[in-house]
Amino acid sequence: MSLDYAIRLTEILLALAFIQQSIEHFRAPRDEQRLFIPRFILSILLLFGFQTQWVCLALVILALFILRRFQGPYNGGSDRMGLLVLCCLSLINFMPSSLWREYVFGYLAIQLVLSYFFSGWVKIKNPEWRNGQALRDVFQFSAYPVSEALRTWMNWPRLLVVMSWSVILFELLFPLSLMTPTTLIIGLVIASTFHLANACLFGFNRFFWIWMAAYPSILWLQQRIFIVEQL
Amino acid sequence: MSVEAMLQTIKLLLPALMPSWRFFSVIAPSPRIEITLLKTAKDTPDSWQEFRPRPAHLSIGSMLKRMFYNARWNEALFLTSLAERLSSNPTEHSSQEILKRIKAELVRNSFDSFDSAATPHLQFRLVFVHREGEQLQKHVTFISPVYGSFGDTDS
Repeated sequence: MSLDYAIRLTEILLALAFIQQSIEHFRAPRDEQRLFIPRFILSILLLFGFQTQWVCLALVILALFILRRFQGPYNGGSDRMGLLVLCCLSLINFMPSSLWREYVFGYLAIQLVLSYFFSGWVKIKNPEWRNGQALRDVFQFSAYPVSEALRTWMNWPRLLVVMSWSVILFELLFPLSLMTPTTLIIGLVIASTFHLANACLFGFNRFFWIWMAAYPSILWLQQRIFIVEQL
Repeated sequence: MSVEAMLQTIKLLLPALMPSWRFFSVIAPSPRIEITLLKTAKDTPDSWQEFRPRPAHLSIGSMLKRMFYNARWNEALFLTSLAERLSSNPTEHSSQEILKRIKAELVRNSFDSFDSAATPHLQFRLVFVHREGEQLQKHVTFISPVYGSFGDTDS
């Protein structure tokens, strides 16, 4: 995957994720509409590759107003990842050389890997994650399960231990998926299944779309390292 | 935009550029927003109702539909963040955002037993749920002033 192709794919996936997020604010109070209708229009332009350099810059400026409006991210980690992808794309457009563009896009790929690895690292250090209690707490009293029926999952301790360790091992081992193109594809399929499950169980739909937008960067970085090693 | 406002915005942006990625490192006490409707601003509330309780069941089809449009739930997640902010670092922004969204819900008349003529005043509170041993505990960490449902602060 060439750098240009991976960047263009990232632009398209980010535009789709921003369109999805913006539509969710169309029925919001007018001050929110004033921020998200322009974001929707700019995202359409980004989707079709119209003046991407300036559209990305305009989206960054708009993102700063959105941050101010909500005094932080509206949707926690997914907004932060969205901002990271957007800022990297904007910076890439203004980099003086191809090498610098690679550094910025590589930074996005590394952050994607770290997003899984550090999440796994903080969990494995916590005994309540290792024995399944943390996930039991998530189902029992956290604000995240999308229905009361899901709270009954707290009554399946063995399942929760298996789920906890599956999440921990997947997150910690994700960097190893970079070893070959095939393992990376397998890693990303598992990762998107993980995000899909989180979206269904906890309503984190925005995480699914925005993390997908960062996947081209890791596919490009893996090939970049792989090809350099072969030469 | 003033220099101070710009610095504040940059401070909000930095965690996105250099993220720490510590999702669910610990399961912290979880906030619920509860509201009560009052006849007068001086009434003492005798019952509280959870604001935006989750549905009893959600079908797989609904979950998949929410992949594409999940505005109400994402607003509920934002309310959770606001409740956490209001408990750890109270600001006018957090309380006004919560109040505005409660009022909007009342205006849409989707809240049980809301009658703007009979109970024109409202109050909200934050209840944090956490586990101590095997028992769930609830602690009220914030009680708002009494507000007019459609007007400004009464007290």
